[in-house]
Amino acid sequence: MSSLYQITNLKYRYGQHFELDVPELTIEEGTSVGFAGSNGSGKSTLLRLLAFIELPEKGTIRFDGAEVSQNNGGPKRDVTMLLQEPYLLKRSIFENVAFGLKIRNDRKDIKERVYAAMELVGMSSREFARRRWHELSGGEAQRIALASRLVLRPKVLILDEPTASVDQQSALLIKEAIVECRRQFGMSLIIASHDRVWLNSATDTIKRMHEGRIVGTGAENILSGPWNNQENGLYGKDLPNGQTLFVTKPPHTTAAGVVNPSDIVLSLLEPEGISTRNILRGIVTNMTMEGDSGDVLIEVDTGGLSLLSRLTPSAAESLQLIPGKKVWTLFKASAVDWY
Amino acid sequence: MDYIAQGLIRSIELLLAGDPETYSAIFTTLRISTLSIIISLAIGIPLGFLLGYFEFPGKRQVRAFVDTLLALPTVVVGLFVYAFISRRGPLGELGLLFTIPGIAVAQTILITPIVISLTATAIESLDRRLQATLVTLGARGRQILITSLMEARYAVLVAAVTAYGRAISEVGISMMIGGNIKWHTRTITTAIALETGKGDFAVGMALGIVLLTLALAVNSSLTLLKKRS
Repeated sequence: MSSLYQITNLKYRYGQHFELDVPELTIEEGTSVGFAGSNGSGKSTLLRLLAFIELPEKGTIRFDGAEVSQNNGGPKRDVTMLLQEPYLLKRSIFENVAFGLKIRNDRKDIKERVYAAMELVGMSSREFARRRWHELSGGEAQRIALASRLVLRPKVLILDEPTASVDQQSALLIKEAIVECRRQFGMSLIIASHDRVWLNSATDTIKRMHEGRIVGTGAENILSGPWNNQENGLYGKDLPNGQTLFVTKPPHTTAAGVVNPSDIVLSLLEPEGISTRNILRGIVTNMTMEGDSGDVLIEVDTGGLSLLSRLTPSAAESLQLIPGKKVWTLFKASAVDWY
Repeated sequence: MDYIAQGLIRSIELLLAGDPETYSAIFTTLRISTLSIIISLAIGIPLGFLLGYFEFPGKRQVRAFVDTLLALPTVVVGLFVYAFISRRGPLGELGLLFTIPGIAVAQTILITPIVISLTATAIESLDRRLQATLVTLGARGRQILITSLMEARYAVLVAAVTAYGRAISEVGISMMIGGNIKWHTRTITTAIALETGKGDFAVGMALGIVLLTLALAVNSSLTLLKKRS
């Protein structure tokens, strides 16, 4: 496996107050890398830089060993990006999917290839090929936008929040299509998503971003401030539903902390008489198998704060967890690491 | 009041009988306005795209200047073009004065700002995601230009039709540059002005009916295009 992207000392200003700051990042060929983080964390900006839609202000991006510069603009045709909100050209669905091939003057078996790409994303070519661009639902439009990129068989497919505005069925079909293309053509995937469970199932590794920096890898929970001083040297943050989250002293009141999902314990009953400060009631919203480890990631909504807990399959089975079930999440205030 | 009714009846007779003088003015108008719209689209659409698509220092000032030219009085354009192409003018040798190409050049100056401004507006109002979509699909330079114009096709057609409407209905340029020469540079509008001055309402009205029909056709297509865009 060789390095596809090598980034050094990348800096890029975005929004009014943020700066993307990536001292070092390597993405290997054929891998599937996820980026998670809240709004404004810099995920989309990083993705636009990796897709060469934007070019770095400082630092270097090397793609396949060659440096990307203002002069060469990057090998745009090796990399394609699916935008968060799909835009379809004002023409038929067939013409939308065929567009990238036509501008490359790559017309051999174009009809068959376009139809195959449509079928890959679960869109019947017979039913949809002749439709107009405005005759699709949000999820269908996103899948056609994906098909118009998959048909190009790019070296790298970048997806920015691909499931943000689509139904569950479309989210599943999008995942199946990209996983299949990766398997068949060795395409590399770079995906940013809020949907941690979906992201986990579609990627090999996840990188966490916060305020323009990569703050960790894996499925960590990010707890962002502001924190206010509570009793006994602890700091806290009130959640919208009245519960309070406790942490040990942060480096500053707006610092972001990280909690490993393995440090979060679930209980079906409200625990009493234990030293753990964080006992937050919540509802299971999602469950997924984690990569190769076989562990289960349980996502719990604790009322405005979504937490991931990592359980062994047997632990998950013994708790008989299903989405919608009420649980208590427990973790120590000292389980938080600061960045 | 009788002479108005008589004029109207006579005008219909002239049109139905295929009066050569009347039809000469109609065809001259169509030739001139077609020539000027072709040149102004060839110049105005690329410039309008550049103005609408790219950000550059002084863009707002350029935009304000082009928008100001939308209100150019036809007689002022006529005056300047006359000054340039009259025998004493710097372009006098071209012999454009009192010719159809001469009128078309002046009309092009009149209507190109309309094409530039409305094309720029059409490109500016395209969805922000279009550019990123085209770039991510691998489109480059001319492909981005053509596809963006295709996306804005109805609005660009509105620009063309609006400019055409201005060209067929103007009178100042045709009168000053064309000289209203019978069988040669006499257009519908200059003919109406002349015939009315002479008191021959029938020919004036016949031509007025044609002009109104053309204007109606232009406006109907505008309404249709605006609905589609």
